Amino acid sequence: MNAIEISNLKRQFKTTIGVIKRQTKEVIAVDGITFDIHAGELFGLLGPNGAGKTTTIKMLTTLLIPSSGTATIMGLDVVKDAEKIRPRIGFIFGGERGLYWRLSGFDNLRYFATLYYVDTNIAKKKIPELIELVGLKGREKEKVEGYSRGMRQRLHIARALLHDPEVLFLDEPTMGLDPVGAREMRMTIRDLQSAKKTILLTTHYMFEADALCERIAVINKGKIVALNTPAKLKHTVQDLSIIEIEIFGIPPDFLEKVRNLEFVDSVAVETRDQRQILLIHTPKGPSAISDLVEVLNGLRLGKIVTREPTLEDAYVRLVGGKL
Amino acid sequence: MQKRSITNVKIFFDGAILSYRALFRWLRPATYIASKILAPLTMMIFFVLIGAYASGSNDASFYVIGNALIFAASSGIFGVTMSIGGERWSGTLPYLFGSPANRMAIFVGRAFMHILDGMLGVFIGLGWGILLFGLDLSQTHLMPLLLTILITTFSTAGLGLLMGCVGLITRNVMLVNNTVYFLMLLFSGANISLESLPKWMQVVSSYIPLTRGIASTRLIVAGAGINEVLPLLLEEFLIGLIFTLLGFFLFSTFEKQAKKLGTLEIF
Amino acid sequence: MVKEIKDTLRIIGMSFEIELRQNLTDGFVLFGIVIQPLIVAFMALWMLKDKGPDYAIFVVVGSAMTGLWTTLLFNGGNSITGERWSGTLESLVGAPSSLRIVVFGKVLANITQSLLSMIGCYTLISLAMGYPLTLSRPIFFLISILLTVFAFVGFGVIIASLFILIPDFQRLQNTLEFPIYILCGFLFPIALLPGWTTPFSYILSPYWAARSLHGSARGTLEINQIFISWTLLIIFSVVYIIGSSALYRLVLKRARVDATLNTTG
Repeated sequence: MNAIEISNLKRQFKTTIGVIKRQTKEVIAVDGITFDIHAGELFGLLGPNGAGKTTTIKMLTTLLIPSSGTATIMGLDVVKDAEKIRPRIGFIFGGERGLYWRLSGFDNLRYFATLYYVDTNIAKKKIPELIELVGLKGREKEKVEGYSRGMRQRLHIARALLHDPEVLFLDEPTMGLDPVGAREMRMTIRDLQSAKKTILLTTHYMFEADALCERIAVINKGKIVALNTPAKLKHTVQDLSIIEIEIFGIPPDFLEKVRNLEFVDSVAVETRDQRQILLIHTPKGPSAISDLVEVLNGLRLGKIVTREPTLEDAYVRLVGGKL
Repeated sequence: MQKRSITNVKIFFDGAILSYRALFRWLRPATYIASKILAPLTMMIFFVLIGAYASGSNDASFYVIGNALIFAASSGIFGVTMSIGGERWSGTLPYLFGSPANRMAIFVGRAFMHILDGMLGVFIGLGWGILLFGLDLSQTHLMPLLLTILITTFSTAGLGLLMGCVGLITRNVMLVNNTVYFLMLLFSGANISLESLPKWMQVVSSYIPLTRGIASTRLIVAGAGINEVLPLLLEEFLIGLIFTLLGFFLFSTFEKQAKKLGTLEIF
Repeated sequence: MVKEIKDTLRIIGMSFEIELRQNLTDGFVLFGIVIQPLIVAFMALWMLKDKGPDYAIFVVVGSAMTGLWTTLLFNGGNSITGERWSGTLESLVGAPSSLRIVVFGKVLANITQSLLSMIGCYTLISLAMGYPLTLSRPIFFLISILLTVFAFVGFGVIIASLFILIPDFQRLQNTLEFPIYILCGFLFPIALLPGWTTPFSYILSPYWAARSLHGSARGTLEINQIFISWTLLIIFSVVYIIGSSALYRLVLKRARVDATLNTTG
């Protein structure tokens, strides 16, 4: 049984430019995506910023109406049956927004418990339990405006679990968290999955998707460019080696020239700590370096390394080489 | 020295253009029309009709003139105040403090647009008065009227400048703004003749901008010439100047305080 | 059915409490519930001085009504806009509870807070200034106050939907402020207005509220006329409340199509 079924979902936005002579532009955020999520699955939606992840989640959580296409959650249509879906799903968009800053964490939870029709007696027990679960015990009476980013994120999780939903949508749940907080968040997410909840998680951290998800859909520019288990996705690049070349200054047309070389599968430029690293995917292995010499002639270079591909490289390849 | 002056002039114009853009960027033409032309009209209608109910007469000119000039106060109080207080809201104040630019040039530049906007508001108000309430400008000399409007908008902008500084230290800018605006309605003689106010209120009226501007305009519409209203206009101008200088003084004080105490974050 | 009613009341109660809490930390609220009505009262008092001392109650009632509308328009409206900016509007829409019920609680909170503040202020001031605030028909006046709350809440729920539908409706707040004062006859009889505006006055529940309040305070309406005002007030308020159900469905659908529930789309 599929918990979530998405069929050719599309979403456009209108933006206006100018003050007196206004021009409207249509931006396609989600461009016909189709996939299913099984009940109890921990599914990842992976993509760079602006790929359409949040828009997809908003459509599935009934906050946006699709421009075309359909989506069902537990057999219920996201447009027609929105009211039936809402009690059964939980969502977090995380971060600074979506909480009442001038209220305490405890009051936020009380409010949302009422809005989710959680029985008063159940709420009385559940709220302290959740506060303890997300590690906010002792801080729940303070106003949210005094919480750290991590605390707010954890309050979001507590809020999403108040009504014990069957399906959870987590939009970038570890964004902005320090490494310790992020690790704890991931453990919580794993615990949720073992509680048989269906979870759709979005992230732009490849290793996170790799570590948590049973299956990953890679989305770029509104389209799904790959859908598979992490292992199989890595497979797609396993025949490739990655040559990393530290480069100082990339002339125009250079990337095109490199891309056009017949032994080059794809090229990307990554900025690491203010250095630019050229990432060349090639099946040829280290021997490609000598073939690259001609193109690299005259350019200032630093370290050159050849290594095995990771899921990150698979991802880079899929989203077309921009990090 | 000359280079300084040129820079200051440039800052002045930059400020003016910035203010212009800020004023119009978030306003769609429809919203501008609504808030500049319709909203003031609705206020005018309200007070004219109360006045009609009170006195039973059809002569609305007292209320029309009063409310038309109140619109100048609106640009001064909300426009100018927000252009300074808004710095705090958008978090750019520390950057402003850190710059060597001449403060006077910056703020006068910004206020400039709002003064023009305020004058426009008064003209629109008077226009409505003629169209809907039979305001009779046949006895009016144009030059004194224009001068009065200019000076009055300037003096209310001065008030706005002072209030903008208040806006730097409090979160409740809109509370202060609106309160002052409504107090101006009460004390300036816009809708209530000053003689009928209690003595202590008349004293307050004499210390605020707008009062003399309104009084002058009423005299001018009744046919007075420049000589009769000149004393009032000079006093109005003086009040505007005092408020402006107070505003600058307050601003520099805040700036110095913030830098000395390292409390820039509260801004 | 009983459970539904209980749940609805719970939500209204919760929303009411949260709105009051939020208002406590917002200084601007003070303006709408106390400062502006007081200044308007003072102005009107002075402007209408020649009408005689028994006009004090007329001014007080009329100014109180301007305060109620200002509160609805600015505090209520800003409350919705604030929810949008803080991302909580989406949280509300995504929750199973009806947004309309939540808004009902918000509006009720704002109206109650406004009314109580003004009653307190005016009583104090009339005691301090020695102005006689005599009520011609006290019981009818009291009932009229309760019905006024009902009228304003119904009207408020409709107005709030406009703030949900149109993200920058805030810009129009100033334009809507005085027309309601004018059309509903808060501080002068609508007889002063051109005849073609009368139908517009009639469909506004605050008009009937003002009419019954003024009429019972000063005794200018006969009892049967007060009953008529009450009836029309109730009819229109009920129309607003029932109509708001369909309205909110439409507004929320539109908002979800246009992506206006959030400032980031």
